Amino acid sequence: MANPLLSPSLLRTLEQFQLLASRRARSSARGERRSRARGQSVEFADYRNYVHGDDFRYLDWNLYGRLERLFLKLYEEERELPVRIFLDASESMTFGEPVKFDFARQVAAAIGYVGLCGFDRVSVIPFPALPPNGQTDPAAWILQSAARGALRAVRGRKSAMQFFQNLAALTAGGPADLNETLRRGALEARHTGLAVVLSDFLDPAGYEAGLTALVGRGFQVDVVQILAPEELTPTTYGDLQLVDSENGAVQEVTFGRFRLKAYQQTVQNFIQRLKEYCQPRGINFFTAASNTSLEDLLLRQLRKAEVWA
Amino acid sequence: MNFLAPAALVFAVTIPVVIVFYLLKRKRVVKLVSSTLLWQKFLAETQASSPFQKLRRNWLLLLQILLLALATFALARPYFAAKIKPAHLRVVILDASASMQSTDVSPSRFESARAEALKWVDSLAGRDQMVILQAGAYTEVKQSATSEKAALRRALQSCAASDGPTRLVPALRMAESLVRDQPGAEIHLFTDGAVPELREFENKALPLVFHRIGVRANNVGITALDARANPEDARQRAVYVNVANFSSNQVETELELRLDGRLLETRPLRIGAMEISPQVFITTQPRDGIFNLRLAARDDLACDNEASLVSLLPRPVKVLLVSKGNRLLERALRAAPLVQLSVAQSLTDPAAGFDFVVLDGVVPAVWPRGNLLAFRVPNTNWFESLSQIQAPAIVDWKSTHPLLRYVGFDNVQVVESLTAKTPSWASSLVDSPQAPLILAGELGRQRIAWVGFDPLDSNWPLRISFPIFIANAVEWLNPANVQGGQLLIKAGEAFRLPLLHPETSAQVVLPDGKVREVPLDATANEFVFGETHRQGAYRLRIGTNELVFCVNLLDAAESDNRPRDELRLGQFERVTATTLQRANLEVWRSILALGLFILLTEWWYYHRRTV
Repeated sequence: MANPLLSPSLLRTLEQFQLLASRRARSSARGERRSRARGQSVEFADYRNYVHGDDFRYLDWNLYGRLERLFLKLYEEERELPVRIFLDASESMTFGEPVKFDFARQVAAAIGYVGLCGFDRVSVIPFPALPPNGQTDPAAWILQSAARGALRAVRGRKSAMQFFQNLAALTAGGPADLNETLRRGALEARHTGLAVVLSDFLDPAGYEAGLTALVGRGFQVDVVQILAPEELTPTTYGDLQLVDSENGAVQEVTFGRFRLKAYQQTVQNFIQRLKEYCQPRGINFFTAASNTSLEDLLLRQLRKAEVWA
Repeated sequence: MNFLAPAALVFAVTIPVVIVFYLLKRKRVVKLVSSTLLWQKFLAETQASSPFQKLRRNWLLLLQILLLALATFALARPYFAAKIKPAHLRVVILDASASMQSTDVSPSRFESARAEALKWVDSLAGRDQMVILQAGAYTEVKQSATSEKAALRRALQSCAASDGPTRLVPALRMAESLVRDQPGAEIHLFTDGAVPELREFENKALPLVFHRIGVRANNVGITALDARANPEDARQRAVYVNVANFSSNQVETELELRLDGRLLETRPLRIGAMEISPQVFITTQPRDGIFNLRLAARDDLACDNEASLVSLLPRPVKVLLVSKGNRLLERALRAAPLVQLSVAQSLTDPAAGFDFVVLDGVVPAVWPRGNLLAFRVPNTNWFESLSQIQAPAIVDWKSTHPLLRYVGFDNVQVVESLTAKTPSWASSLVDSPQAPLILAGELGRQRIAWVGFDPLDSNWPLRISFPIFIANAVEWLNPANVQGGQLLIKAGEAFRLPLLHPETSAQVVLPDGKVREVPLDATANEFVFGETHRQGAYRLRIGTNELVFCVNLLDAAESDNRPRDELRLGQFERVTATTLQRANLEVWRSILALGLFILLTEWWYYHRRTV
């Protein structure tokens, strides 16, 4: 089955990357990441005195020959890196040409694929949560629920295709609560790791509390803000009555070409404030329009920022 | 509160227009967007972040600034003084005649002319000079050439309209002398055009600018007045009045006749447009008095609605006929009314006891002082030289002269006649191809009618015109009639009274009750009073005598107050009323119109840009 999100050539390129995490992996599952835990690997870590019951295979016989004392060689335990991708699937992500949500899924697929190739555990958390069954088409609801369930924890490269399909099956809709989603995601995680937030960040409640919760929990956070070209440069002028897609709020505005620069300045201020919030907290921040070249974002910007190498 | 331009209130209709603009509901396009968050931030930043913002180039702003600038500019009431042709000298002639008192323009034509002239004073630039002349019954220099605007304004303010006729010729003559050899000089004449003939200025290329004052003609006036003995009953007085209607509609009014303030008769009149209604009042007059006629018409010109006349009762005329014997002449003289005739064959004294003397071919030893009717009398003091012609043919006679009223010389043949060149004091009444045959005039204060031929040497006594001529002569030569004529003068003309005895002072009571003391020179033999600007009865006290003289307009040309579009200078030259050269041309109306246009443009642009 063909991958609906990423091209084969891009996949081949991504296979060569590995996610970089500045923090040691704290997962309990074994993987290929260095961790502070001691275990079985080829990387020597330390010595300790032998105690009864230790495995003889790790005794350092050379030391015993010289000192006639038993020391046990300790090795670093290689564990997996949990990669949690918070994917904004709210109604606002359905706008744009190309649609912002499609672009976000492609980025999620790329990051997830790099994680899977590196034997990391990838979780995709779309938000908002599905409404209770019965409010929508049951078949679609079941399909969505299954896809979301399958994306909760994916590991191994062989799961990549299924991962892509589940991502492609996701749909967007409803109002999102970014802060609540991130805060809950931070609390629910048993092990910290890499957190990637893919959203337009157009939440009236803000984003500060959610991002702070992730950082405070110990996540390495990467933020990718995705905006539609129309949001950056509106093309509709005149006396407008704007209706918010998520909460139905109405805003009357008279907009013309003469105010375009002022609007663009407002957008840049908004982006700049998000960036300035991220930088002191060690959060990698990226912004992209949905019509941006995916390769440029993945292969140049994220690589340059050492999200992966 | 008054408005200078109440018509401008019509611009108030722009207010509801603007309100309608704002009442128009703006139709908004509903658009679903991902989030209104960015828009809210945008509006917050652009509208409420600061009370001021950086000034941006905005066409709406520019239009509104332009609009305000224009409004301010218009409120400052700018005008173009430079539109007038530059002229180093302007002679302003203000018509101060009676017709300028017409009230068809508020408050009057004269005030309107003065206001217009004041605008020209305001527009005087640099060292340009102006002269102010007031042209009433006589011309008065109110201000000689100066650049001082204050002096010019004062001079204009001191001008006043009189009840007299227009005498533009002296004013124009003076103005012509002022502008002669002055390149670019102009004569600005502010008048309604009710002026007499200006033939004198034809082909003189007068730099005349005619400012027409007045908008309509609505006037009924008394144009002629006389009182005589009733021809049918000498004991009664006949008052002749001409009432003229110079408006374009028929007028119904009433004419009152008063004698010394007592109402004698009220007569309703109906006068068609541009018609004259002659009226005759027959009344008894027990003593000398003042007839006063008053029109009840409400028209634009009030000063010609009233006229007064001093009427003296006829007295017997004492006539001395000095003749060798002429029964026809004697009978003609006796036939004249009220004549007490004495006949003598010679004259050796000044005949002081007679009203006038008739000399029939007799040269007196002493020339009489009084008036004279002389037939074939040579007098070297009257003429430079006398000659005799045979059978002169009568080719022309002046029928307008009082002596020749109803007198014709058809079929009158003369055998021979003395003749002389017309002297300066007389005018020719009857002409032959060679020389005048009858002359009349005033020499000093003596009226003389001179007939060059003996009536018995002609067939004239056999014609009806002869006794009429004698009757006319009795009336014309009667000193009482002369004096009565002197008691009726036109406004602006000087009142003259011969003084029989030296006097030192006189007192004149004007119609408005003001008293003027007039000092007299002890050697003066005539009293002259010139302050006759207002019509009405003037009372003169001089020595022990007291008399009344009346001042009237009685000028049909002046009562005809139709504003003229052009002045005629002779037969061919015309001066059209100026409309282009207006001083202080205010342009606020144009500016207001431009501002309104900009307002509409702004509205249109605003909606075009946002749709």
